[in-house]
Amino acid sequence: MPMHIPDGFLDTPVWVGLNVAALPAVGVLARKAQKGFDHSRTPLLGVMGAFVFAAQMINFPVGVGTSGHLIGGALLACTLGPAAAAVTMTAILAIQALIFQDGGVLALGANVMNMAVCGTLAAYLPYHFWGRGRWRRAAIFLGGALSVLVGALLAISELLLSGIPMPGAVLGVSLGLFMVSAVLEGAITVAVVGALEGMQPDFVHQPSGRRSYVLGALASAAILLSVVGVLFASANPDGLEKLAADVGIASRAKTLFATPLADYEAGFFESPWARKAGAGMAGLVLMFGASVLLGRFGKKRSV
Amino acid sequence: MHHAVLDEWSRRESALHRRDPRAKTAALVVFLIVVTTSTHNFVVLGPAYLGMLVAGMAWARIPPAGALARAAVVLPFSLVFAGAVALAGDPQRAVLLAAKSYVSAAAVLLLVATTPLPALLRGFEGLGAPRFLLMVAQFLYRYLFVISEEAQHMRAAALSRGGGIRAGRTRFRAAAGALAVLFARSHVRASDIHRAMLARGFEGHFRLVRNLRFGLADALFLVPAAGFPLALRLALGGGV
Repeated sequence: MPMHIPDGFLDTPVWVGLNVAALPAVGVLARKAQKGFDHSRTPLLGVMGAFVFAAQMINFPVGVGTSGHLIGGALLACTLGPAAAAVTMTAILAIQALIFQDGGVLALGANVMNMAVCGTLAAYLPYHFWGRGRWRRAAIFLGGALSVLVGALLAISELLLSGIPMPGAVLGVSLGLFMVSAVLEGAITVAVVGALEGMQPDFVHQPSGRRSYVLGALASAAILLSVVGVLFASANPDGLEKLAADVGIASRAKTLFATPLADYEAGFFESPWARKAGAGMAGLVLMFGASVLLGRFGKKRSV
Repeated sequence: MHHAVLDEWSRRESALHRRDPRAKTAALVVFLIVVTTSTHNFVVLGPAYLGMLVAGMAWARIPPAGALARAAVVLPFSLVFAGAVALAGDPQRAVLLAAKSYVSAAAVLLLVATTPLPALLRGFEGLGAPRFLLMVAQFLYRYLFVISEEAQHMRAAALSRGGGIRAGRTRFRAAAGALAVLFARSHVRASDIHRAMLARGFEGHFRLVRNLRFGLADALFLVPAAGFPLALRLALGGGV
């Protein structure tokens, strides 16, 4: 159940901000994905994008009478590498927005940040760190699940930031659905990567196993951007105020949304939890974008 | 298929089809911003915006009823969220969200129904989008039919072997195997395509039959196409 936000749903600061964040991120990722390859990379990424579209026709049985399908971000990250996967996902989202009216054009930046940049990076992180040892399958599974969860949570938080009220029950049900589809995506990704390796091992991208720089960059970006995130969220309190009014969401979302960055909020606001949550999510958005950039630059230097 | 119909529409002949893709893209972006920022009087503005789009469709000689029906694909998502908003006690806003997303989708549809995708993407390149990404999107669109058809064949084959009957571990692994085969075939196809491109002297970008040219007619088109909705919004749509 991917979340493609249509036009008309996001508040102007939210969609403008995410477009501004998405443009340089995609630009850098595109350059990175192209590097070291001649034109052979273009048809490969395009055809793989078409593959992800077509893969939706192959149903995976879940229970009696229900089935799901691959979403694809994690599979692309494990096979093409993170930068190429992000570019391919961006192209998919653009085609979906233009040709299939699935996701908005002004909201394209938001959808690209959610699914192509943050979702794909989140999918690749566990594989990068644990993709070689005995936790390999677990890492691939986690990556698949994270790609769905990160994309969906970012989308939900952007909608909440835009002041779209969501009753607690609706939020609870959608979070439940996201969990199910995250587990399914993880399982499908593990199964397909396994089958691909059985067929031809060089289809699968091997993680480099270098640890230090990317992790350090992630951590410092997290601290830096949580501050920026607080400012960003407090400059845009309308949606958050409305959000706070709904206690039903509060109990549920607090743990999910606020934990990553809550500790960094040093009490210089009277801190209704909603600000924290909003700050956390906004910070997460920015953090992922920046860590992609930092990660890329860091890698380039260490090669 | 949805995109086959769009493809056919986009290759028809009309004054709107002939406009430079950059002019049409700029008009679309203005229109979308106008729609998404309209806060007041949407009861009047919404039908007016939709009326402009229908006029555009008629001008471009694409069937308005068919195009409007196609834009409705956005509704399942918007109606779910609109329903949530209505449950939260704001039915007016719920209607507004659904209406805005529908009008926006119809506007995007009008652009892609009057501009072939290669020309549209070339226009984006002219507006500064990264070429590599646009090339990937172009390939993606070109091979969408081919790979989808392959997937459909595989699905039909699996069903006729009785693959759809029972759920379970075996069936799950069979589906994973099918995807892996589809992946491998797509991979091989990509390298075939690349060799064929090299053999034909591909030099890094696609050529259009007709080069883009932003002429006086395009400027004259852009003024009312962007100005009219903008004026309407400024007059009736509430504070900026």
